[in-house]
Amino acid sequence: MKRSWIHLFPVPALAFYVLFIVYPIFAAFGYSFFDWQGLKRGAFIGLDNFVTLFTVEPFNDLFWNALKNNVFYFVLEMIAQNGIAFVLAYILYTKIKGAQWFKIAFFLPRLLSVIVVGFLWKLILNPNFGVLNVVLKKAGLGEWAQPWLGDPSTALVSIILVNSWFGIGFAVLILLAGLQGIPNEIVEAAKLDGVRGFRLIRTIIIPMMMQSITIITVFTFIQAFEAFELVYAMQGSQGEPYHSTDTLAVYFYRTAFGGNSGGDGLAIGLGSALAVVMFFIIAALSAAYLNFVRSKEVEH
Amino acid sequence: MTKRFHVLLAVFVLITTVLAGCGGGNGNNSSPAASGSSTNTASVSPTPSASGEKAKLTIGSWRTEDREAYEKIIAAYNATNPNVEIVFNPSKNTEYNTILNTALQTGEGPDIIQLRPYAAGRQLADAGFLEPLDGQIKGLDTFSKDTLAAATGTDGKVYGVPTVYSSTQVFYNVKIFKENNIEVPKTWDDMIKAAETLKAKGITPFAFGSKEGWLLSLTHGALAPQFYGGSDFATKVLSGETNFQSEGYVSSLQMMKDLTPYFPENYEGLGMDDIRNLFVTEQAGMFVMGDWELAVMQKANPALELGVFPVPGKDGKATVTTWVDGSFAVNAKSKNKAEALKFVEFMTTKEFGTLVVNELKKPSTLQGVTATDPIVSQLSEYANTIATPYASVVYFNQGNPTTKSVLETNLQAMYLGSLTPKQVADEVQKSADTWLKK
Repeated sequence: MKRSWIHLFPVPALAFYVLFIVYPIFAAFGYSFFDWQGLKRGAFIGLDNFVTLFTVEPFNDLFWNALKNNVFYFVLEMIAQNGIAFVLAYILYTKIKGAQWFKIAFFLPRLLSVIVVGFLWKLILNPNFGVLNVVLKKAGLGEWAQPWLGDPSTALVSIILVNSWFGIGFAVLILLAGLQGIPNEIVEAAKLDGVRGFRLIRTIIIPMMMQSITIITVFTFIQAFEAFELVYAMQGSQGEPYHSTDTLAVYFYRTAFGGNSGGDGLAIGLGSALAVVMFFIIAALSAAYLNFVRSKEVEH
Repeated sequence: MTKRFHVLLAVFVLITTVLAGCGGGNGNNSSPAASGSSTNTASVSPTPSASGEKAKLTIGSWRTEDREAYEKIIAAYNATNPNVEIVFNPSKNTEYNTILNTALQTGEGPDIIQLRPYAAGRQLADAGFLEPLDGQIKGLDTFSKDTLAAATGTDGKVYGVPTVYSSTQVFYNVKIFKENNIEVPKTWDDMIKAAETLKAKGITPFAFGSKEGWLLSLTHGALAPQFYGGSDFATKVLSGETNFQSEGYVSSLQMMKDLTPYFPENYEGLGMDDIRNLFVTEQAGMFVMGDWELAVMQKANPALELGVFPVPGKDGKATVTTWVDGSFAVNAKSKNKAEALKFVEFMTTKEFGTLVVNELKKPSTLQGVTATDPIVSQLSEYANTIATPYASVVYFNQGNPTTKSVLETNLQAMYLGSLTPKQVADEVQKSADTWLKK
């Protein structure tokens, strides 16, 4: 017990954490129980904001629409971003020539600001002079050319694929680290026993790197459910067109702070209620998922 | 076990950021109310010029395009008021409200605030963020009550100096019209005929896009009064005599849909920058747009031969759609309140009015100010003689989400083929019902 003073060292960092993370969380919890007139806090109204969120049109429709988009965001990212990232990581793992160079190349988009990425892809996807449609027309595939970001059937997919392009380098790094963490003798032994190709991946590689897969899945999940910047940069705070790219975070931002150019009303109480619901969705699903994969992981 | 603990910890830290982002900005929630009651008694702090230091003022605005013009106006003001340094610091149109609201909530924000007209500005006044101007500055009596209404709080006090009108009308490319022997349309049918002619020649008749919602309410606001009957209709909706499901209003939405053949290719994916480019690069003949784009377009292509005409009459006379835009208010928490008040007082003078029409190229709210640019003079004349109010901004910018933004979203859906004009009207009425009956 002589050196108990050592426990004081984390206090400054903890103080910052409490002040800027923990306190605002509880503040948001608190705000969600009040009636707000614009920026002025009114009376305590209990759970009224939550009731409004789930029962009053258009708030309930917008909520389910945004949640559905978040789920789609997650599923497509798992396939497009992490699926391709696994293939790329596996190719790098087999020590092809220039693996180091490829690793950097895949990671490069990640160095750009999301706003820059959004702007860049807005230009590429522009329906009339964007590179994509111009190339399609030149290649004789004119009928494939679309107003990618203006059509509700392609807008959300376009944004998710842009986000996958942006995030794939990070996924490759995590998965590659997982692959490289597998003890060589296990893979060698499996190969000696005649396990090859897809069977090797399915029965040896994937179970042995489950921890990396868990991490990237949880990261993707949280990132998909907090998706905001790219949607905002490319489609504005209304999740245009016709709320087809709306996500919970964009909906929250618009509701709490009034994102419309003409000046939407502010609804801080309702916005806080939405944030609280988001918090519980993400926390509950993350915890459930971690519990589920606990059994799949192999300690080594 | 420890590995798993670390993953859990990382997850927790990540998810907490959602709520932190929400709560962070609202830390000072009790201060606005408090400051509201204290503003009247708080004495205006003396300017620090006594110490030889210049008082510094910032102006917040959504007019990023106007930076140069305001710098000239500030220079003109500094000629007689050298002891103050004023910085015009605008943010993007669609983000201004959020940036301003967040700043005001934490007790900061610019000293002089360009105030959104009507309901949105009133909200800031009612929350106590703004300094009431009555009795504190001279010159407010030069404005009519209707004009001041754009910056009047619920308490009846005036919180901003209205400086300009905004108006929407049809801009056209004089050269294209001449080359194709098209006369300036006098009736609605003339305009549709002109559009037909342009289309046959392979020129886009209307520079228009539906990717950004505000362009939809703006275009509808300009053209639709010819179909539903302007301010008469708006007052009747407010009094409950008629509603948005009435024949006139639905026909105005149908008209928006009927114009589709005259829109550019892939108009669903075009935003403001795209359609402005179409017009200034002379690929489109007509452009239903606000006056504020005039200076931007002239700068983008000085060789562009621009003309303007009011929305031609369907049955009656031609109209332009106007509203008061850009009132200037003083932040109640400004450290240089006296200097800020002095500057907004300058905004009530003819000297400022002349600067406005010549530098901003906008119709001034001050009467008897003449512009050097003939198009600005024409716009000013229209705004003072044949104007009808922009109903979405003046009357229907209330509710959450506002009836204006409901109109925008649902018009977007109409162009994407998911709603009929009648269904759009139903949605707009549903939104109006949430606040009209109160």
